[in-house]
Amino acid sequence: MSDFKIHHREGEGVNVIELKGYLDAHTAPELETTFQKLLNDKKFNIVVNCKDLTYISSAGLGVFMAYIEDVRKNQGDIKLSNMTAKVYNVFDLLGFPILYEIYKEEKEAIVRFTQPKKS
Amino acid sequence: MSRLRRIIYILIPTLSFLGVYIYDVTQYATRVEVGDGMYVREILMIISFTLLFLLLQDRRGQRVRGIPKELGRLLLVGAFLASITALASFLSSSGNPDDVRQISVKAIDGFLSFAVGIPLGMFAIITLLTIKDLVLYKRRKGAWRNFLIYLVLLVLACFSTLPLLTVEFALIASSITFLAIIMVIVNSFKQNWIVTLSRREKIYSIIYSALLFCVFTLLAVLSENEFGQKALRTISAPLQHFAFLNFIFGAIYSGMAFVSTLFHLPTAEQYERKQSELSSLHNLTRLVSQVFDFQDLVNSVTHMTLDVVGANRAWLEIRKKKEVSSGLAFDIASQQNISAEQIEAVTGNGASPLRDLLVDSKKFLIVDDVPNDRRTKHLKGSDIKIASLVSVPLISHNELIGILHATKDIEYGFDQDDVDVLTTFADNVTIAIENSRLISESLERERLKQEIMVAQQMQKKLLPEHPPQFPSLQFAASWEPSMEVGGDYYDFVNLGSNKVGLVVGDVAGKGVSAAFYMAEVKGIFQSLSKLCKSPKELLVRANETLMGSLERKAFISIVYAIFDYVKGTVQLARAGHCPVVYVSATKQELIRPNGLGLGLTDGEIFQQSTEGSIIRLTDGDVCVFYTDGITEARNAEGDEYGYERLLQVVTSTRNESAQHIMTTLLNEVKAHTGYQSFADDMTLVVAKWVGPTQSK
Repeated sequence: MSDFKIHHREGEGVNVIELKGYLDAHTAPELETTFQKLLNDKKFNIVVNCKDLTYISSAGLGVFMAYIEDVRKNQGDIKLSNMTAKVYNVFDLLGFPILYEIYKEEKEAIVRFTQPKKS
Repeated sequence: MSRLRRIIYILIPTLSFLGVYIYDVTQYATRVEVGDGMYVREILMIISFTLLFLLLQDRRGQRVRGIPKELGRLLLVGAFLASITALASFLSSSGNPDDVRQISVKAIDGFLSFAVGIPLGMFAIITLLTIKDLVLYKRRKGAWRNFLIYLVLLVLACFSTLPLLTVEFALIASSITFLAIIMVIVNSFKQNWIVTLSRREKIYSIIYSALLFCVFTLLAVLSENEFGQKALRTISAPLQHFAFLNFIFGAIYSGMAFVSTLFHLPTAEQYERKQSELSSLHNLTRLVSQVFDFQDLVNSVTHMTLDVVGANRAWLEIRKKKEVSSGLAFDIASQQNISAEQIEAVTGNGASPLRDLLVDSKKFLIVDDVPNDRRTKHLKGSDIKIASLVSVPLISHNELIGILHATKDIEYGFDQDDVDVLTTFADNVTIAIENSRLISESLERERLKQEIMVAQQMQKKLLPEHPPQFPSLQFAASWEPSMEVGGDYYDFVNLGSNKVGLVVGDVAGKGVSAAFYMAEVKGIFQSLSKLCKSPKELLVRANETLMGSLERKAFISIVYAIFDYVKGTVQLARAGHCPVVYVSATKQELIRPNGLGLGLTDGEIFQQSTEGSIIRLTDGDVCVFYTDGITEARNAEGDEYGYERLLQVVTSTRNESAQHIMTTLLNEVKAHTGYQSFADDMTLVVAKWVGPTQSK
């Protein structure tokens, strides 16, 4: 179950975090440390690429909830992208699409940081 | 030995001596040989002295005293006897009693012989017994054998002097005596008792053994001179020989003891030191088992450090579990003769504090001259009187767990032996401390287990005992946490006017924290359900309440349904929870009105994005409420149970009772996982509308 990996890329003022494997109560602390480190470094523009994320539990979702407020307070955001249908369903059940921007492609998410949606 | 026996043992010899004395005097007066009087006399004497021997041996066995004291007493009695005998010998030699053929003179003379002879004989017995104890001290096989040979020779030598034997026998008698004296010398080499004496005791032993040598030599001479020989022989010829041989033994043995002790004197201090080290280490092994109180343990450790190396001050620093930013941190667990401030000044100060030196090297550290050493420069001119210092690290599994420090008030106070002992000591202390920690940890774990058991029982009480049943509406419910306690929740509430509310919820996370939130949700649900007309209203208000109390990363998904068991309607609202399975004769669907999880966002957005839904039930319709533990139950391949299977099972069992549907479904899910322990809490509630037609 601890088959979980985080890859962190940095480019053009946006930090991309790639998640791979199972994100559950056991692996959630890893993602927490990653977010905490970004916040400490004052990097608030974050895209989480979920291409290889095979499963997310409520504890995994909790990690996003824990940091979103601080990130947004600092004019940043956590945007999500490349979700598989199954993972999207979990986010969707809880109503996350209302609270988070979720994109099909990582690129779209990155672009949104420089060209915010006119709404 | 019983009192009666002791009296007999004293009485028989006393009467015998008296009888023999009277017999002697009478015989002398009448000059008549009374038959076999001679034999009877000798046998009586032998029996008497044998009894006295047994009596004295028994008395000795009851006393336990130090060897030097024993020697002192022997010396006192011996010196007293020797002077009495010498005096008597001097007095009696003035006249020649053989020439004086008067009964009165003979009587006085005989009395004198008995008065001197009997104590001498008894003293010879005591001498033999004392030497026996010394020779057989820390006995080895050879010692006992050699001593036994001497005893046999002694007995033979004594009997060979019986006046009944012929003159030709004299040669054999003297050779036996000669052999006995050789065995005396052999046995005199057994001086094992000396080694264990302290220095003080050894000095006493030297003095006593020198004096004893003189006393025994004198006694041996006296027992062979004219008076002594006669006095002893008057009683019994073997007795004289017995006394003579044992006095010789006494003289030779004390002589040897004197020389041996003299040679052992320089090693006395070393021996004493080893003794104290041994006893300290022995105490420590006892300590290792007294590990239930950590403070007691560490106090004993510092106290023993003072003893083991004769230190003036000692303290034990134990590493804190948490590291501080500047590196390792230590607590002073226990200290002797030094204050916490002073300790800090000694180990925590300076350019490179002693503590850090040990943390780096993990080896012991010795400072012979504290005021002038580079490492302890910071102590120069301070008011702490420390001249030399040793610090030993306590290392367990390559980790430094603490440091033991000892100091002395003199320079060069610690030698290599001290360091060795302290290092060994430190190893034992490490084990003791580790054991103590393990024990307290396992006690703590046991206590937590108990607490969890209580929590489990309490949580079960928060859930309904039985789901409610109505003629038109059946309910069946199941709740299984994956750990001892869980974050799943379901409940029913009677709302009046033919309505019953059902809530099924799931707190994010598992275990104890989830269980607390679950209890909170029950409180909120029970109070709000009576106030709120619609499920949506309840969810909105529940969200408002929970937003304030949930931690950021926690949220709760919930579905709330109000059943009207007369009209056959279900009003429901969903807050981020799994969709409700609805199966009727014509359709199977997942009912999933929009709705955000509780605790995710505050009022406005929640209210806008949450909607209500209503189902009109027809006879035989089934609604299934559940938590994601059901749909996400995985098999060995990681394949989730999923909605498809769920719908399929409910469809195929639609015509059965609610209880049957639930049991079948639960079994299917468990079969899917291969009956392994499941990863998430599982809750399942099945509602079946049988319709008013089947009720009367």
